[in-house]
Amino acid sequence: MNLTLKLTLLSSLVVTTSVFAEDEFFTPKTTVGGYGELHYNYEKKDGSDATKILDFHRFVTFFSHSWTEKWSFKSEVELEHNFVEGAAEKGELELEQAYVNYHCNESFGFQAGVVLASIGLINEYHEPPTFLSVERSDYNNKIIPTTWFGNGIAFYGRKSGFDYKFTVMEGLDGKKISASKGIRDGRQKGFKSNAEDFLYNARLDYTGFSGLRVGTSFSFNDATVGKDTTNSVSILELHAKYEANDVYTVFEVANITYGDKDLAGVETSFGYYLDFGYNFGTFLKTEAKIIPWLRFEDYNTAKKAATEAVEKANHYTNWKVGVSVKPIESVVFKVDYGVKKQESTKTKTKQMNLGVGYQF
Amino acid sequence: MRIILFVFVLLAFVQNLFASEIKKQAEKSISGIFGKDKTLTFKKFALPKDTKNNIEKKVQQQFFAQEVYTWKITQKDSVCGFAILDNVLGKALPITFLVVFDAKGSILSTEIVKYREAYGGQISEKGWNLKFIGKNANSTFVVGKDVDGISGATISVISVTKGIEKLSLLIQEIKTKL
Repeated sequence: MNLTLKLTLLSSLVVTTSVFAEDEFFTPKTTVGGYGELHYNYEKKDGSDATKILDFHRFVTFFSHSWTEKWSFKSEVELEHNFVEGAAEKGELELEQAYVNYHCNESFGFQAGVVLASIGLINEYHEPPTFLSVERSDYNNKIIPTTWFGNGIAFYGRKSGFDYKFTVMEGLDGKKISASKGIRDGRQKGFKSNAEDFLYNARLDYTGFSGLRVGTSFSFNDATVGKDTTNSVSILELHAKYEANDVYTVFEVANITYGDKDLAGVETSFGYYLDFGYNFGTFLKTEAKIIPWLRFEDYNTAKKAATEAVEKANHYTNWKVGVSVKPIESVVFKVDYGVKKQESTKTKTKQMNLGVGYQF
Repeated sequence: MRIILFVFVLLAFVQNLFASEIKKQAEKSISGIFGKDKTLTFKKFALPKDTKNNIEKKVQQQFFAQEVYTWKITQKDSVCGFAILDNVLGKALPITFLVVFDAKGSILSTEIVKYREAYGGQISEKGWNLKFIGKNANSTFVVGKDVDGISGATISVISVTKGIEKLSLLIQEIKTKL
């Protein structure tokens, strides 16, 4: 056998092995998905005039490409509030996910790019048909701010009913942590992120019981405040969701501890919420889901703070009732009514929301 | 000339080696249900156009391809059951699944043979798949009622549930042709 033939044989084998290492059903493909939601928000705070807003809150497109079974690219671009014109009040255009994904096998893979912090139920899974209320819960705004994304890398996998994810990503901007908003404004959102101090986030879920996801996460970040100053932030969070036999229940609770209360005026943030819903579509013998639901939440972005007045000023409770109707699994119509109470002044804010959402 | 022939034979062998992995895994699962003493007759079954269209219209999901992998499981002259391997599209990649039926077309088992996505792999859990046992072409397949939802796997759950419903309808139409 001469050299040319040997090389031909060898290269043919390499190419063929590489091509056919994919199974017979995979073909490289570019796919598009998305979700969106239109909201009507009525709000009336004690002593103030009512506000009424009609808002196409989120328009999101997923764009992805799979080169091979193991190597792919995933992205999520979000337009918030329909219109962008520089100032934040005019809406936001965000690249919430954009990463190269290596999916080695079921038990190990990694993502590198703009990734999501794996904290709680909503941050990674927030398509409108996946939660009951028109707006996300206050907990998922004030305590665990969603959507929390940033530049970084994540390792994930699943084994024997357990699902894990470990993420290292940009940290929080310690200067923007506050008693009234907790860590919300500290997210850098991938914009030329300060990479002095990373956020380390580990999450473990159990999904071995059908219909149930229960898990916990712990996150730590020495949030940069100044050149040589940091405020350590630790987040311990628990979450559970059960959706089976027409029952929908959700519970999330989190505690945030700040290392230096003098820097942000706050030592801890704490909150939780509980949802309970039941699909009456079965009784009505319709394939549409008609889910009346009830929520209670309690949160305080300054559970422990420099003064008692600050602690009291940031404590809220919130009752909410609503109905979520899904004519098909990917489309949802929602209505809810609630009363949010500021616990020290007993000031009440009444809210009524209508919404329509979709995903594909 | 002999060397070129050798290369082609080798390439065909390598291709076959990788291509048959999923089929082997499916046959192992089928034997696990019916026992190793049964005869498995494999067929790549081309979907009849009318049958395909009717099922797609009813379930509101297209078939992944123009053909499915089928097995007829027999012992001597009696039919013990059937199995169909098919794919549905998840968020971006195909999900390969196997449905095993008894001789009348009721589901004995469903299994995710290959899941390729980073999210939603929980549909491979046995507990989730148990809900399909006993269902047939006359059953309902409503997520959240007949089939459990999975937080974080909404699209995969919807997609695979429709895929299993399609095969339940298909087996009634094709079992005499296998």
